[in-house]
Amino acid sequence: MGELTMGSLTTGPHRAERSSGRRIRLPLPGFAGRMMAPGLLVLAGVSLLPFAAVVVMSFSRVHLLGGLRLEGAGADNWTRLFTDPDMAWAWARTAGYFVLTVGGEMVLGTVLAICLWRLRHGRNTALSLLLLPMFVAPVIVGLLGRFLTDSTFGLYSWVLGQLGYHGDLMGDKTTAFVSVTLMDVWEWTPLVTLIALAGLTSVPSSVLEAASLDGAGLLRTLRHIVLPAIAPVLLVALLIRSMDALRYFDIIWNTTGGGPADATKTASVKLYETAFRFFDFGYAAVTGLLMLAVTTVVARYFVRLLDRKGLAR
Amino acid sequence: MGSPPPSSAPRPSPPLSRRSVLRGAAAGGAMGLLAGCGGRSDAAFHPDAGPWRRYAGTTVNFISENTAPTAAIAADLRPFTELTGIRVNIVTLELSALAQKVALDLASGNGEYDVVYADPYQVLAPYAPAFADLREFTEDPGLPRLPGGLDDFIGTHLDAAGRFGGDGKVLALPYDCPTMVWQYRADLFKRYRDRMADDLGFDPMPSDNTTWEQYYAIARWFNDETDEVRYGTGHQAKQHDALMCDFSNLLWSYGGDYFDGGRRVGRIGTLDPGPCRLDSDAAIAGAEFYQRLLKIADPGSRTWDWDGLGAAFRAGRIAMCPNWHEYAASNKAAMPGKVGYARLLKGPVRSAGMYGGTGIAVSKVIPERRRRAAWLFVNWATTPKTQLANLASKVGGGTPTRTSVYAMPRVTAAQHRPSKMANMLSADAVKKTWRSDTIGLRPKIPMWAECDTAVYTQLSGMLAGDASPESAMRAATSRIDRIVARGG
Amino acid sequence: MTASTTGAAPLERGSRGSRVVVRVLVATALIWTVVPLGWMLLSSFKSTAEVTAATPDVWFGPTLDNYRNLFGGGNNLWPHLRNSVVAAGCSALLATALGALAGYGLARTKWRGKHHLSFWIISTRMAPIAAVVLPIFLIFRVLGLIDTLPGLVLAYLSFNLPFAIWLLNAFFAQLPPALEESAQVAGCTPWQAFRHVILPLTRPGLVTTFVLCLVFSWNDYAFALVLSGPRTQTLPIAASQLVTQTGIDWGQLTAIGTVVVVPMMLVGLAVRRWLVTGLTMGAVTGE
Repeated sequence: MGELTMGSLTTGPHRAERSSGRRIRLPLPGFAGRMMAPGLLVLAGVSLLPFAAVVVMSFSRVHLLGGLRLEGAGADNWTRLFTDPDMAWAWARTAGYFVLTVGGEMVLGTVLAICLWRLRHGRNTALSLLLLPMFVAPVIVGLLGRFLTDSTFGLYSWVLGQLGYHGDLMGDKTTAFVSVTLMDVWEWTPLVTLIALAGLTSVPSSVLEAASLDGAGLLRTLRHIVLPAIAPVLLVALLIRSMDALRYFDIIWNTTGGGPADATKTASVKLYETAFRFFDFGYAAVTGLLMLAVTTVVARYFVRLLDRKGLAR
Repeated sequence: MGSPPPSSAPRPSPPLSRRSVLRGAAAGGAMGLLAGCGGRSDAAFHPDAGPWRRYAGTTVNFISENTAPTAAIAADLRPFTELTGIRVNIVTLELSALAQKVALDLASGNGEYDVVYADPYQVLAPYAPAFADLREFTEDPGLPRLPGGLDDFIGTHLDAAGRFGGDGKVLALPYDCPTMVWQYRADLFKRYRDRMADDLGFDPMPSDNTTWEQYYAIARWFNDETDEVRYGTGHQAKQHDALMCDFSNLLWSYGGDYFDGGRRVGRIGTLDPGPCRLDSDAAIAGAEFYQRLLKIADPGSRTWDWDGLGAAFRAGRIAMCPNWHEYAASNKAAMPGKVGYARLLKGPVRSAGMYGGTGIAVSKVIPERRRRAAWLFVNWATTPKTQLANLASKVGGGTPTRTSVYAMPRVTAAQHRPSKMANMLSADAVKKTWRSDTIGLRPKIPMWAECDTAVYTQLSGMLAGDASPESAMRAATSRIDRIVARGG
Repeated sequence: MTASTTGAAPLERGSRGSRVVVRVLVATALIWTVVPLGWMLLSSFKSTAEVTAATPDVWFGPTLDNYRNLFGGGNNLWPHLRNSVVAAGCSALLATALGALAGYGLARTKWRGKHHLSFWIISTRMAPIAAVVLPIFLIFRVLGLIDTLPGLVLAYLSFNLPFAIWLLNAFFAQLPPALEESAQVAGCTPWQAFRHVILPLTRPGLVTTFVLCLVFSWNDYAFALVLSGPRTQTLPIAASQLVTQTGIDWGQLTAIGTVVVVPMMLVGLAVRRWLVTGLTMGAVTGE
């Protein structure tokens, strides 16, 4: 089997270290640094400064009236986090939303990629069409979702009505939650499909040849040969999706606005509401930092996993 | 494979790479240079020109919710530009986006927007000190007179949309005035009047004495007895501002209110409203009735804000609903001659219809002369002439906020069919609602947006069956008390 | 031809039944994917009454009114379109350029703290927008960047640049350093080696990065809402403006949705081939 190396950030050029002989002059160590400098400086400017400000805000009361000013509030915002009756529920919902959207996208995306890969005719056309949702602006996805599920004139409500379901998708807590989840799945499954398909096409055919000569069944081939081979790529997809899944709020905000009965109020919706409806930037900063911490931990875990997978091969 | 490396002229490495780094840095730095041009200049000033023309050549930025009068004004700004030589940029946004932009603009002292559509609850109350007192312009001899003076504005509008706190300042001029009224299918009511009267034991035709209990009975009758509509009543009960508006009508009619002295808190506004009173018996009774009403309403209600409700009504799903009177224009387009309008119903204590009007204000974050140029626009946009033109406009309409406009013969005539000004068909109902004892005014306090969210979130839970009316009202009360204690 | 048509032969010898299953699954996925978009496109050619008709109608007299209203009359869409093109285009270009430099530097540096550095880079992309946008607003206010296109470009860099560095670093990392080394033996400077040897080899990666960055910034709503002003509003902002107090004009909304969505789809499909190879090479090497 060919060497499979994750080119992810964390692994770096192993071969470089092995094959570079002393006799060849390497690029000056400073060269790499100078190449990185402009990008890192810009990045530091647009991220470190705001991040520091958010940390400061999380310990302050932010007054907008009469010119913006901060007033030290000690750990008030942080303690509020633990007395807020709605916060724990928001996080429980966020966890459910995260697992259902990202999990659904990974499973459906992989299945779809395998199907496409096995499709003999029309694969490129099908792929082109299947990719379309990932180019749609999330705000449009939200508005479109609202349009399609409107109980008076929505196409999907009408179709469900023909099938005998006369409830209101966005009026019931469970169906509303499922609906916003499905909208996210609709938009982002294509990305997973794309990445998984990219991985599949690089599985050497000799491996598969050997497997089918063995008489291994389709499912067993998939499970023991194909899936392990594309596992690292799937992890990349998982990483990309989990970085964004918590952040985006456009779809929920534009369809249910968090309702009914708070059923779709995830942490990101709550954050947006706290910041830009209540203008309570101190508490919003706390919520934001918590979200960042959770995302970082999740991403870190996947990166570690990626490292191990990448190195194991 | 890439092209082979250029083999000629091997040179020592550093110079080229240094240049490349410089080039990279320049790409980043260019943006810093381009940035130098922020900040807006003061208005042009021509002291010798007439009062309307002194600020010719200025550009005024107006940020507004995308409402009917703004649509009408945006569609035809020529009269103003010809009158004053001032150009107007209109930025229209959805209300929460508007509140966000205005808050940041005022707080940071950026001063991008000269004229602000100042929603009384989300903009005026929290940022009152950031708006100019308009009396300084009305009293300035160097500026054109305000036609009809401040007294020409409907009294409740001027207080609710224009003032905050008891200091007499006028911070905004009433600009629009959506008000909740009872909208019903007059054609169906007419056809079934006798049958309904027989079945229900009262005359169903809307009058000032019809009660919410009777409304409930009528809604049930439509559910059970006719196939022409799917349900008798529909509501705007999505977890959204709309739900608070819809519920408040009931709350007030049952004698409940958000705070002690609620009518004053609503009309003038205050920084400290005191303890929340949503846990009173009257408020809970209102909530109980609202829950009962929603049980027989179109189940789609829980997904509708005012817009979804309006669309459902126009599609013929429901026989009646409480909704903003400005939907009269689209109702007329969809089902001409079939819709009637009446004041909202009476509860055990009174009748109340939610007022959702807004004024336009002049920012104080901008330079002095610019404020005066902005005032010219505020003055012009609310003149009787402009309001009349808006009424007749093809792109929307809007409803006058001045007494004198309602007295114009053309306007009086338009209150009856056939009408060229569709919104005037609801004029009778809204004029009755705007009286100081029937107008429904939510608390005008700086922290309203958060209290509002607490109210509609708890109500949404109640409608979903998570909580009883009593526990929903108590939960809302404790949340509001906490929000108010934290301060704006 | 493309990477997507190679190496799939053996499994295709599946049973008839499994082939049918595959076709059914793909067909279902196609319907699920395309119907909402098709319905949006269709609705944008309907009159207001037809758009909100209670029974969906496929046969109707198509009209261009919605588009005419968008580009003429009260809300002229051309400036929004121009702002979107300039802001998203510049940001994607800058992100790709800076990302290529930094990604290459990162791939070749031997610095020990590199793992931490690279994780920091990607973690900047995870920051919740609603929390950081206020500080960014204030910084931009001081720099006079509010309501300017450079401001939007810079704001978009905050999420595009980490992504670009990450993706491109992966590309450079899997190219053997022997490439530059031999180029340098032949007398090239490190910059020349990068420019003439390495960059041409990573063209799929550069295209993929550019296109994905373009899509991310074109579709941005949260930053543009806060940082733009009367002169710099972008298309997604224009779309949200159609949600109004007196009703949503669904006809115009579906039309603007089409205007927002179609250019990105065209760009995306034009480079679909590159996207597949781009992401493959970025993620996996070997054979």
